[in-house]
Amino acid sequence: MQYIRCFFEQREILEVDTPVLSAAAITDPFIESFQTRYIPLTRKMPAEHYYLHSSPEFPMKRLLAAGSGSIYQIAKVFRQGEVGSRHNPEFTLLEWYRDGWDHHQLMQEVEQLLTELLTPHVQLGASCFMSYQQVFEKVMAINPHTAPMDDLCACADKFDLSGVLDKSDHRDRFLELLFSHVIEPALGTEAETGKACICFVYHYPASQASLARIGQENGIAVARRFEIFINGLELGNGFHELNNAQEQRARFTADNQTRQQMGLTERPLDENFLAALDLLPDCAGVAIGIERLLMVMSQAAHINKVINFPFERA
Amino acid sequence: MASYNTNEFRSGLKLMIDGDPYAIVDNEVVKPGKGQAFNRIKVKNLKTGRVVERTYKSGESVEAADVMDTDLQYLYNDGEQWHFMHPETFEQIAADQSAVGDAAKWLKEQDMCTITLWNGSPLLVTPPNFVVLTVADTDPGLKGDTSGGGGKPATMETGAVIQVPLFIQIGEELKIDTRTAKYVSRAKD
Repeated sequence: MQYIRCFFEQREILEVDTPVLSAAAITDPFIESFQTRYIPLTRKMPAEHYYLHSSPEFPMKRLLAAGSGSIYQIAKVFRQGEVGSRHNPEFTLLEWYRDGWDHHQLMQEVEQLLTELLTPHVQLGASCFMSYQQVFEKVMAINPHTAPMDDLCACADKFDLSGVLDKSDHRDRFLELLFSHVIEPALGTEAETGKACICFVYHYPASQASLARIGQENGIAVARRFEIFINGLELGNGFHELNNAQEQRARFTADNQTRQQMGLTERPLDENFLAALDLLPDCAGVAIGIERLLMVMSQAAHINKVINFPFERA
Repeated sequence: MASYNTNEFRSGLKLMIDGDPYAIVDNEVVKPGKGQAFNRIKVKNLKTGRVVERTYKSGESVEAADVMDTDLQYLYNDGEQWHFMHPETFEQIAADQSAVGDAAKWLKEQDMCTITLWNGSPLLVTPPNFVVLTVADTDPGLKGDTSGGGGKPATMETGAVIQVPLFIQIGEELKIDTRTAKYVSRAKD
C-alpha cells in the first residue's frame, strides 16, 4: 500500500476519498449492489434506499469534471453474490484517472506500476498487449466482432461447453463464456517459459463498452476498454472514459431494460453523475483489485489467503 | 421435480445430469468483472465414479437427484444379491453386483455399511473405512522374523487379498483400511 501511494505521489496525483453510500447504483446487469436503508432519527419520514458502491467511479468522475486533474483512490467496495476462490463480496479497489490521457497511455502506466510492485516477488516475463479480436483469432480462429451466431455455438461445442447457453442468448454471453473458460486461463503466462507476465487485452466489442468510449478500428466499432491479466487471473479493467451524458444515459436505460428482462430490479440512475459527465475532461481510468494483486504476489490460489477475515468469518 | 439453483451449489450436492445422478465435488464461480457469471463444477457420476466438468450460467436451476445415504447392516449374500437390513426398522434391501462392485470383498456379516439409494434403490455400497477380517490363508512366515521389513499376500475370509507383514499367521484377525486396501494392524481385542 505504501508503495502504491509512493508511486502516485511521485507522479503528483492527488489521493481522494468519496462516499461509500450513494442514493443511486450501477445499472450493470451483472453487478449487484448491496442495498441499505437510511432511517431518520425521528422515524417520521419514510426510510430511503441507499446503496453501497461497487466502485468509486461515479463520484471520482464528478471530481474530474469539477477540475481536480488526475486523481487516485484506494477504496473498499461491495458486490453481492460474489464469493469464491477469486471473489469476496467486500474487496479493495485501486482506481485512478489520468487527465488528458487515452487508454493506451494508461496501459503503459499500469504496466509500470505492476512491474515495480511484482518484480521483488514474481519472476515476470515480457508483457503482452493484444486486442480482443487478436486473442480470439489466436485461440479459436474466429473474429469475435463479425462471427455469426452459428460459429460461436460451434466454438462452444468444440471446447466442451455445449448446452451452457442456448441460441436465444445474446452473442455477448457466448463471447463471455468462451473468453472466461477458454481464453482467460492462458492469459498472463508466457507461452515459451511458463513465466507469469502482465497481459493486456483491449478493444472489446462495442456492446460491452460499459462506461468506455466507442471508437473505430479497421472499420469495426470497438469499446476503448482494456483488461489486465496475470497467470489467468483478471486484475483490473480500464476505460478511455466516455464523456457524453446523452449516450451514457441511453446505455444505463438499456441496462435497466436488460435487468427487467432478467427479473432483476431496475436501478435509479445517478443523475448527479450524468449532470457532470458532459464536463468530464478527456481522460482514461482504471480499477485494479488489490486482493487479486496480493494473490499474484504471494502465489495464493485462494483469495481467503490474502484477507485476514474472509466473508465466511467477517 | 426438485431442483437446485446455481447459488445453492456446494460440495456433496446431488444433481441429475443427462439422466444420471452426480455429486458435486468442487464448485467454482467464474465471474468476469464485467459480464455473465458462470458456475464451473466438477461432478462425480455416482454410477461410474467418473469425474467430469460442467458449466452452468449462474442463476440457472438444475434438477436434483433423489439420492440418499443410509447406514445398513450387511446380512448375507445369496449368490446373486447382497442383503442389508436397517438396524431399527428391520427393513431389508437387496443390492446387486453393479451397486456392490468392489465393496463385495470387504463385506463381512453384521458390519454396518453406507448404502446410497437413488429413487429408493441401491446405487452404491460403501464399506466401513476399517474392517476386521480373519486371515483364511497365507504362507507360514519364517520363525523369528518379526520386523515389518518384507511382506506377503494373505487371503482374507471374504476373499480379499492384501499384503501383510511376514509374521502374520492363518487365523489371525487384522484391521484393514478399505479405502487403500492396506493392512493397518492386528486387531486388538
